[in-house]
Formats: sequence, structure tokens, C-alpha cells
Amino acid sequence: MLITLERSGGFAGISKVIEVDTAKLPQKQSEELSILLETANFFDLPAYFFANSNQCDGFQYTLIVKDKNKQNTVTVSESKIPDNLKPLMEWITCNGEIS
Amino acid sequence: MGRKKLKKSHGFGFTHALNYRCPICCIVPPYMLEKIAVNGSPTQREWAFETLNLSAQTRGRRMGLGNKVEAPQTGQKIRIIYDANNSQQLPGEIVRKEGDSPSGDEAVDEAYEATGATYDFFKEICDRNSIDNKGLRLDSTVHYGKDYENAFWNGSQMVYGDGDGELFNRFTKSVDVIGHELTHGVNQYEANLIYFGEAGANKESFSEVFGSLDKQRINKQTVDEADWLIGVGLFTDKVNGKGIRSMKAPGTAYDDPVLGKDPQPGHMKDIYTGIKDNGGVHINSGIPNRAFYLAAKEIGGYAWEKTGKIWYVSLCEKLDSKANIQRTSEVTIEVAGELYGQGSNEQKAVENAWKEVGVEQSSVNSEQRTVKS
Repeated sequence: MLITLERSGGFAGISKVIEVDTAKLPQKQSEELSILLETANFFDLPAYFFANSNQCDGFQYTLIVKDKNKQNTVTVSESKIPDNLKPLMEWITCNGEIS
Repeated sequence: MGRKKLKKSHGFGFTHALNYRCPICCIVPPYMLEKIAVNGSPTQREWAFETLNLSAQTRGRRMGLGNKVEAPQTGQKIRIIYDANNSQQLPGEIVRKEGDSPSGDEAVDEAYEATGATYDFFKEICDRNSIDNKGLRLDSTVHYGKDYENAFWNGSQMVYGDGDGELFNRFTKSVDVIGHELTHGVNQYEANLIYFGEAGANKESFSEVFGSLDKQRINKQTVDEADWLIGVGLFTDKVNGKGIRSMKAPGTAYDDPVLGKDPQPGHMKDIYTGIKDNGGVHINSGIPNRAFYLAAKEIGGYAWEKTGKIWYVSLCEKLDSKANIQRTSEVTIEVAGELYGQGSNEQKAVENAWKEVGVEQSSVNSEQRTVKS
């Protein structure tokens, strides 16, 4: 499974990309990731969670997960991240590699 | 002056206020709007994004109105600084109120002073009483999040992180950041530009303009003396960069092995058309930023006196929420004519500035100005 989390926007407008390749992860971390994907119901999430136009200079995140038989791309404004997606994003930020 | 223009047009003579439950807007389902927001033409994308936002606003309105009612209309400068204590809970704990002595916490005191200076700028130069022109209390939270390398306006207040200490310092370090965020509030009560695509880039640019003018006025700098850099001091010494952005020379503010190169264009031929950053609002602001700089340079003197006035009147009196860069150019040229005369040096300076960044006026508009002068 390949995961890419891109952060764009923010006041500085500087993009940052973090990647995870589960083939390179220890078994325990792979399992953690699977649980978090399920908690987030990730593959059934809609493509966009936009904030309203009064939210300015927040970050925008695009999360792409590609598995063998399924994939999804979700773009979300910082203030609109669903609660059950936050743990997954935090995990990727802590355990992924900056590309 | 202050107004809330809340209208939407479907482009075939039908307009309605944004708080009207439009049968046409509600017919197009969100998944279709999302596709258009990505794949459509620039005009289609801005419409789709605005409609998606309308839905989000309608759903969130009860919560939003509740928060606003709690901030009293006071009629004079009233500042409250909160400390989020590195959490993401807003607003946090009150640490400095209007009239309190300095706290000794740099972020608290910088937010307090720069918010006051920005209020004073809008009051003394624009005759504007706070964000809503009715003395809205100015709430700011510092120490938001952990290593949070950002600042934002959330619709009700300003919020500042401490930076990661590696690449970014605290975001209250640069007065134009505070001016930038506060101006997002002003925009919300005036043109209320949507935060996507070219309208969003305009929204960003207005914040850069007034943040920068705020800084220039504090430093008593003329157009030639100002550095026209945004966010000087936000980068640490480890970063190869002068600032976050340059209004004078978009794309030259930084070039760093870790952060990359400043991506801003300074001309319409290089406009970013991707989906990142809400359609490049912090990227394409380089174009109207440079137009402002060029107009101010040609007019000369202190940039807030004439060029700033043209931009302020445009924002408050003429622009609608979907104004793209072309429309903004037309409005600023029109306002320059109204303020300083058709065919005046000031109007020519504004027209020349837009031309230099690749925004031409229609021959009809140009002829009308020539005939009138």
C-alpha cells in the first residue's frame, strides 16, 4: 500500500509531502495503519471537505491511499478534517518519510 | 463604510442573495460540484467552489452566528490576547486585555501591539472602526498547536503558531502577518471574496497589500524605501530566504534546499491552474501583488496615501465576491478615475501596472476613459 499526504496552503503557501510504503514497514505498524484506515472509513470518504471562504490561511491536505484493489484521494481543509480521519493523518505525519 | 454583498449569479440574468435557498444551487449534488471544482474551466471551478462553500456555510451558520454574537460591538479599539497553551482549542486562556501592561511573553505582546497598529492604520488612514467598521473586538490566540508553522483567520479571530523553531519562527514576529490576518476579517465584511482560484488570490493579495502598508506606515517608509517583502523574520537563519513573499519581485523571496523555491508568478502568463492551496491562492496572489507595487511605484510617495486608497475603495465599494484578476484590474482603474480624474496620472499608473503583469483592458473601456478626459 502506498500513501501520500501533501500539505499545501497555509500563510506561507509552502507544500510538504509525506509518503508511506507499507512494504517497508514492520508488521505491527502495518497493522496499526490498517486499523486507522478502517476507523476513518477512508475508502468510502468523499473526495473533498472544503472549509467556507471565511477560513483563511489554513492548511489544505490531500491524502492518497493506493492499495491492491482499491484507492481513494481525499482533499480536506484543515478546519474540516473529520474526527475519525485525524488519527490516520497524525500517524502518517509521525511515521512517514518527507519526500 | 461597510457592506455585506451577498449575491450569486448563475450567469443568465438570475441572481439571488446567498442566504436564499436557491432551487438551482440545491439541484446540483455535491459530488458533481466537486468534479467541476477540479475539472471545469476557471469560471466553472469558481462557481462550483462557491456553491460548495455556500452549502458548508449554510450548515455551519448557526455555529458561526453563535460565536459572532459573543464578541461585543464596542465602538473603540478593544484587544484580547488568548493563549492556547500549545493545544488546538480556541480561543484559549485570556492573557492580555486592552490596556494591560506588557505580559513579557513575546508572542502575546507582539500580537497585542501589531493588532493595535493595524487597527490604527484602518482608523486613521481608511476611517474604518475595526474589522466590521463598528468596533468589533479584536481577538487573537497565540501559542496555537505544537510547532505549528502557520497563522490564520478562522472567520471570528486571528490565530498564531510558534513555528517549529527549525525553519520557522513564531508567526507574530512579523507585523505584516498580523495585518494580513486582520485584513481577511475586513474582507469578510466587505467584498467577501471567495477563497478559491483567482478570487481567492485577490483575497490573499488584499491581505498582503494592507499588511505591507501597515508595516510601511509604522516604519514611515516611502514606496522606494520599503522592501515590499512579506513575512521578514518568519524564517530562521537556516533558511535561504529574505521573506515569505515579495510583492516587488514575485518568485524571488526564497530558494532553499529544504523548502524549495518561491513559486509565485508575477505575470498572467505564468498563472498556476492546479488545485493545490485552494487553486493557488497564495501562489497567484503574486500577480495582483506586483500590480499594486508597480502602481504605487509610479504614483510615488507613501503607498498608503493614493494607491492604498484606490485599493481600499475598490474592496469596500465595488468588488463582488467572485471578482477575478481581470475584474479587479477594471475596478481599480475605474476607482482611480473616480478619485483622481479620468486620464489622471494615478489612473494611468494603475492601468500601466496591470498591463505590465499581463492584464489588458478592453479597447471599449480604454476609449471611454480617453473620451471622458
